[in-house]
Amino acid sequence: MVLVLDPTLAPLADSGGSGPDAGTLAGKRVGFRVDILWRSWDWVSDEWARLAERDGAEVRFWRARGRTGDEGDAMLKELDDFLAGVDIAVVGLANCGSCTSWTIHDALRAASTGIPTVAVCTDHFKDLAGTLARRGGRSALRRHVLPYPLDTLQEAEVRDIARAQYRPFLRTLGV
Amino acid sequence: MTSPARSIDRSCGPSGCEVDWLSSERHEASDDITAFTRWATERGWGDGLPLVPPTEGRVRAFLARCARFPDEIVAELPPLRGECTVEKIAVNAVMAGADPAAMPVIIAAIEAMSRPEFNLAALNATTGSVVPAVIVNGPVRDELAIPYEVSCLGGAGGGAPAIGRAIRLVMRNLAGQAAGITSQSVFGTPGRLAGIVFGEWEEQSPWAPLAQRRGVAGNAVTVYGAMGTTNICDVIADNGRSLLEFIGKGLAYHGANGMLPSSAFCELFVAFNPIWAKMIAAEYPGVEDVQQVLWETASLPVSSFPDGYDAGLVLSRRHGDRVHVAQSPQDVIVTVCGGMGNLHALSMPSWGDTKSVTAAIQ
Repeated sequence: MVLVLDPTLAPLADSGGSGPDAGTLAGKRVGFRVDILWRSWDWVSDEWARLAERDGAEVRFWRARGRTGDEGDAMLKELDDFLAGVDIAVVGLANCGSCTSWTIHDALRAASTGIPTVAVCTDHFKDLAGTLARRGGRSALRRHVLPYPLDTLQEAEVRDIARAQYRPFLRTLGV
Repeated sequence: MTSPARSIDRSCGPSGCEVDWLSSERHEASDDITAFTRWATERGWGDGLPLVPPTEGRVRAFLARCARFPDEIVAELPPLRGECTVEKIAVNAVMAGADPAAMPVIIAAIEAMSRPEFNLAALNATTGSVVPAVIVNGPVRDELAIPYEVSCLGGAGGGAPAIGRAIRLVMRNLAGQAAGITSQSVFGTPGRLAGIVFGEWEEQSPWAPLAQRRGVAGNAVTVYGAMGTTNICDVIADNGRSLLEFIGKGLAYHGANGMLPSSAFCELFVAFNPIWAKMIAAEYPGVEDVQQVLWETASLPVSSFPDGYDAGLVLSRRHGDRVHVAQSPQDVIVTVCGGMGNLHALSMPSWGDTKSVTAAIQ
C-alpha cells in the first residue's frame, strides 16, 4: 500500500440561504430575465408578467444574449443595471445544459444582491440547477420547476401551463 | 495568485527547501494499477481507463518540471469553481499517465480555458457534444512528441493523448464536470476521454504559425470549443479558388450550432493538409484572404430553412439572403497539419458561444 494524493477539491462552503420572501407584489418592481433561446420562456414570462401586473406589480424585462468576449462583459453590466432597478428577480430559463449554467449564474448574482430571487427551470434540468446552485454556494436558491419538454408544445399549450403555474410560482417566490 | 492560507517564505523557490508544499488529502491505496483504478473509480476519480496512483514521489516529479509554486492558483474552473492549484493539476496529470515535462502545456491549456471569453461554464454543462481542443505551436511540439503530421488528431501516438487526458481529468476532478450531474451532454464525445490535442505543422505552412497570428510567438496553445471533427474530402479541384470554395461550403450545414438563435457568436476551424495549403496559398498568399473566402462560402440561403426557422436565425450573421455560420472572416481559424496523402481537409464545428483563446506556454 502507498499514500496517494486526492485529485479532487472540496465544494465551496454552502453559506447562502434562500433569500427573503417577496411578500406582496403590489407596488413592487418584478424583473424577468429572459434569453434568446427559449420561445416557451417568452410565453411563460409574458403570461406571468401580465398576471403580476394584475396583482399590482410593475414588470420589467431584460434579455440575456451572448456571454463571450466583449458582449459577455456587456451582459454582466446590463444584468447588474437590471438588478439594480428591480425588487424581485425571476431568472430563466434553465432548459438545457449551458442555459441552466447561465440561469443559475445570473440567479446567484441576483440573490447575492439581497433581493427575492427565483430561478425557473424545467423538470429535466432541475437536478442540474440544484447542483449548480449548491456548487455556487447557495443550495437553498429558490427554484420553480416547469414541465418538460416545454419547447415542443404549441404556444397556446405553453400559455395554459403558465397560467396554471402562476400560483405555485408565487408560492416559490414567497408571495 | 496563491492560496491566502499559505503565507510562507517563498524565497527558496518552488522546490521548497524545507517546505512541504503538498496539501492534498492523503489516502492509503494499492500501488497496483488495476487495484488502484478500481478503487479510484469507485470514488468517482476515473474515466474508465487505467489510472496511475498519484503518490507523493510521482507528484513531486511533475512539480519539479514547472517553475511554479504548487499552491499557485491557476484557475477557478466551473461548475465547481474551486481553486485549481498547480499541485492538483499535477495529481491529475500523474493519474492520466502524462509526461512530467508536459506540465507547462497542461497548465497553459487550463489557464486558457478558464478565460471568461471561452465560456467554460457553458461548455462544461451543455447538452452539446463539445470538448476543448488544444492546438500547440512552437518547439515544444517536438520536445513532447505532440503530433502534427500524419494522423495527428488521433492514432499517431506520442505525448498528446496523455496531455489531453490530464486536462479531461482536471475537468472531472477539479472543475466537477460529471456526466448526467453537471454535464448534460446528450451524447458526449470520444474527445472527452483523451481530449483533442495536436500541433500545427508550422514548417509546412505557407502562413505564419496560428498562435503567432493571434499574438503569441513561440511555444503556445490555442484552445477551441470543438464539436468533434468533420472530414471534407475532394478529388476534383485543380486550383486553390475552387478547393477553398468547396471546403467553405462544407463548413455550413443545417443544425450547426452557429445557426442556433442562442449562438450569438460562432467560430469556424479548418485544418489544411500541407499539399492543399500550398495549392491554396499559390492563389491566396495572405491568410486573411483565405479566411474571407471561407467565411463567404460557409453560408446557407435563408430559403433552405424550413418554415418557422427564419425568425430564429441570428440577424447579425444574415447577409442578404444568406446566413453565415461565423460573424466575420476574423472568426475563421485556419491551420496546417496532417499527412502528405492529400485529399482531405478537417473541420471542427464550433459549439457556438465560445471564443478561442491563445496563451503562451510558460
